[in-house]
Amino acid sequence: MIKRGFQVAARFGHHKPLPRNPQILPRLHLVSAFGSSTDSLVARFCPEKTDFKDYALPNASWCPDMLSLYQEFLEKTKSDSWIKLPSFKSNREHIRGLKLPSGLVVASDKSDQRIFTRCIQDEGQGYEYVIFFHPSKKKSVCLFQPGPYLEGPPGFAHGGSLAAMMDETFSKTAYLAGEGLFTLSLNIRFKNLIPVGSLAVLNIQVEKIEDQKLYMSCITHSRDEQTVYAKSSGVFLQLQLEEESPQEQ
Amino acid sequence: MLRSCAARLRTCGARPANPGAAWRLFSSEKVVHKDYALPNPSWSKDLRLRFDQFMKKCEDGSWKRIPSHRQNTSPLLQDFQNRFLDPKFMKEEKMSKAQKFTRSFEVGLGFEYVMFFNGAEKRVVCFFQGGPHLQGLPGFVHGGAIATIIDITTGACVNISEGIAMTANLNINYKRPIPLCSVVVLNSQLHKIEGRKHFVSCTVQSNDEKTLHAEAAALFIKLDPDKRLT
Repeated sequence: MIKRGFQVAARFGHHKPLPRNPQILPRLHLVSAFGSSTDSLVARFCPEKTDFKDYALPNASWCPDMLSLYQEFLEKTKSDSWIKLPSFKSNREHIRGLKLPSGLVVASDKSDQRIFTRCIQDEGQGYEYVIFFHPSKKKSVCLFQPGPYLEGPPGFAHGGSLAAMMDETFSKTAYLAGEGLFTLSLNIRFKNLIPVGSLAVLNIQVEKIEDQKLYMSCITHSRDEQTVYAKSSGVFLQLQLEEESPQEQ
Repeated sequence: MLRSCAARLRTCGARPANPGAAWRLFSSEKVVHKDYALPNPSWSKDLRLRFDQFMKKCEDGSWKRIPSHRQNTSPLLQDFQNRFLDPKFMKEEKMSKAQKFTRSFEVGLGFEYVMFFNGAEKRVVCFFQGGPHLQGLPGFVHGGAIATIIDITTGACVNISEGIAMTANLNINYKRPIPLCSVVVLNSQLHKIEGRKHFVSCTVQSNDEKTLHAEAAALFIKLDPDKRLT
C-alpha cells in the first residue's frame, strides 16, 4: 500500500504528505534535517504540467544500448518506484518559484543562461543523458552518451565531460535526497576511456547525510558492466532554497 | 596533412540538413587554424588586462602562451593517434566532426580562456572566464565546468613538459562558487614525478586573488610507448 502510494505520488506529483516508509535504513534519513522530505522535493521537481522542454527524452542520436536500457528503466518507473527526472535547459526552470538564499544571489543577465550539460543543443553532438532516481533507496542511474563535441583523445570522451556528468548527477541526486546544493568535493579515479557515441552508465548511491553534508559514491561502467570507466565520490552541502516573492518571479 | 584535413572538412561542410552553427564553421578552412586563446569581443576588461600582463612576461622567453585550436592537428596528438589507438576507432566521419571540447561554443557563451606555460618552473597559469552556457546553480559556474578547466590546465602542465599523459585521478575541493562571467586565475604546478606518474596541484582564485574558489590535486600517467590503450 505504501509502495503504491509512492508510485502514485511519483507519477502525478501529488502534494499531500505521504506515510513514511517504515523500513528506515540505519544510515539514511528520509527526511533531511532541513525539513523538506524527498517526496515533496521530487513532487516539485517533476511538475505534472510544464511548458519547459524536457531534454531527457530519446532522440534519433541515441544508440541502441541507450534506448534499450532507457526502456528497461521506464518499466521500472511503473513497477519499482523509480522516477525519470526531467531535464530542462536551465536550472532556473528546475527551481521555478524558488531562489538561492539571499547571500548568494548574483545579479546577472538571467535570460541567456543554460545549464552546462545542456549547452550543446544539436542532437547527439554533446551530452545525451537521462537520470532515473529512486527516492527511498536514495540511488540514481544516469544513462550517458557523449557526442563528438565532448571529445578529448581522438574518438573518446574527454575526462572533463565525464567529471561534469558525474557532478550533474550527484547534484540532482543530492538535491532530491536532501536539499544538497553546492559541490564541496569531487574525487574521480579514471580507469578506462569511453568511446564517443557509446553508452556509459553512472550508478550513484547516497552513502550518508551528516553535518549538513551529503556523501555519495558513483561507479561508471559499460552497459554489460564488463568495463569500469571510472569510480568517484562527491560531497554536497545542504542548503535550503527560499521561496521567491511574487515581484521576483 | 593539413591540406587533406581541410579537404575533408570542406566535404563535411557540404552536408545538408543540420542547421547548427557547427556545420557552417566546419566548411571554412580558416577554422582549423584558428587560435582561440586570443582576445575576442566577449573578453572582459579583467581578462584582457591579464592577457596583456602575461604577454609582456613572454617577451623574455620565460613564459609562453599556449595556442588553442578546435581541431587536434598538433603533432603531439597525431603521434598519440598513431601509436596508442586501435585503427578501427579512427572512423573518418568521427574524426572530421571532432571538436576540442572547450572550443565548441559560440563566442563568449562557454569557456573563454588562455593558458601560459613556464618551462623552468613547470607551471601553467590559466585565465578563465565562464560564460552563461556553463551554468550550474543559477548565476554560477557548473562544478563540472570547473572540473573541466582544472583538468585541462593541469593536463597542459604535464603534456607540454613531459609528453602525453592521461588523467588518472582528479580531486577537487570547492570553496566558493564562481559567478558566471567573472574571471578566475588557475595556477597549476607539476610538483612530483614517480616513474610515469605525474602529480599536479592547482588552485583557482578570483582575479584579485582575494578569494580561493577551489583547490585541486591531479594524477596523470604518462603513456607507455609500448602499450596500446584500446
